[in-house]
Amino acid sequence: MKPLLNFYLIDDSTFDLFIYEKLLIKSGITENVKTFNSAREALKHILSAGTDLPEVIILLDLQMPDMNGFDFIEEYDHLPEYLRDKIRIFMLSSTIDTRDIEKAKASPHIIDLLPKPLEVNFLRKKLSI
Amino acid sequence: MSDKAITILYIDDEEHNLHSFKASFRKQYDITITSSVVEAELIMETKDFCIILADQRMPIMTGVQFFEKIRTKHPKPIRILITGHTDIGAAIDAINKGEVFRFIDKPWDYKYVETAIAHAYEIYKTREDLKMRNIELQKANEELDKFVYSASHDLRAPLMSVLGIVNLALLEEDVKSQNEYLELIRQSVKKLDTFIINIIDYYKNARGVPVVTEISFEELVTEVQATIQYLPEYGNLKMTTDIDQAGVFHSDVMKLRIIFNNLINNAIKFQDKSKPEPFVHLTVKSTPSHARITIADNGSGIKESDLDKIFKMFYRAGATNSGSGIGLYIVHEAISKLGGEISVTSKIGQGSTFEINIPSIAK
Repeated sequence: MKPLLNFYLIDDSTFDLFIYEKLLIKSGITENVKTFNSAREALKHILSAGTDLPEVIILLDLQMPDMNGFDFIEEYDHLPEYLRDKIRIFMLSSTIDTRDIEKAKASPHIIDLLPKPLEVNFLRKKLSI
Repeated sequence: MSDKAITILYIDDEEHNLHSFKASFRKQYDITITSSVVEAELIMETKDFCIILADQRMPIMTGVQFFEKIRTKHPKPIRILITGHTDIGAAIDAINKGEVFRFIDKPWDYKYVETAIAHAYEIYKTREDLKMRNIELQKANEELDKFVYSASHDLRAPLMSVLGIVNLALLEEDVKSQNEYLELIRQSVKKLDTFIINIIDYYKNARGVPVVTEISFEELVTEVQATIQYLPEYGNLKMTTDIDQAGVFHSDVMKLRIIFNNLINNAIKFQDKSKPEPFVHLTVKSTPSHARITIADNGSGIKESDLDKIFKMFYRAGATNSGSGIGLYIVHEAISKLGGEISVTSKIGQGSTFEINIPSIAK
């Protein structure tokens, strides 16, 4: 049986949210995509969902106003373990800055940094599905 | 710095030398005298000196020993040694250990001392200027670094969006939906173009030679209006103007265009579409010496906590629909280059008013 994957997209660009939501669904990897226009909004959602939070894969943009991707990771670090256990985070960014790449690699919470535009097959490989 | 008096500390165990020195030079320089090296060190804790003169033959320690002692803690002052009779050993020590800039022979000659002080001060000032310049350069470098980081993101992100849309469009079998994708590509390309224009504006503003001409605010506003009213995001915004120009006003038309363009574009971009009559109202009141410009809208408004940050480079206040955060920075830069000021009042959900005051630039 195919596992049912839930995706959360966090990006300040409504464009990219639209594109990647469509792409994920079209590629058949998932049927459930939730989009968040800001990292703060996503964090609020995760906290309020509490024990009802399903297992999710987060695709997190890096450069966002107010709270950027790394700021989000910092907040995420303080989340209770039962929430973190349900979440897997990939960073999805167009950055080519080596400092960003190193920082993403060094973070224990970020599985990998995926370059934009998203290649679903690449993501599949990372998820080993 | 240049109009401040040259500060000099003179140390000599012979009091009459101190007093005759002070009497000769007190009108030209800010002079502090002491007969004790111990006291000299204490004085240096509380006051900065450009030049220190010390007698070589003193009790407790020689002038050279004194210089050697204070050199690491007070590297800035230029050191001059005053000697009665120089032996070669003392001279070598003075240069190698005390890093003395110059010797003055006793009894000293007024002109000679004056020249020595003038040269010493020149070196002091050059070093200080260099230090200042270095700090400025460091700051400029940090800013450039930040600029490159943010600019590369803002250049690359819309391109990657386009690529994403193309990938998606290729998966699509339904040809009809292609138009939707093309529209997205158009918007993304437009965003990229706006950013590039902004960057060019910024550089013209920062590096370009200002061209001061007679300004007709009426013409300028009409021109800016013409370029924006056909924008798809213009919507049903109502733009009204009230221009009252009395007499000739001189300024840099290029900078004014950047200012009007950005502020009016922001009013369009951040209009509150839920309101029945979104508007932007522009007023100009100018006299031959001064112009006051206000741009008021009933758009989405700015959070109070963001008000003091919106003019910073790459600061993006809104989470949605926001640009790269460079527009208002450019506006702020342009206005300061014109010698003016900008202020903003805003209430979230109600609208914003930007007020600009600029002087007429004398030709």
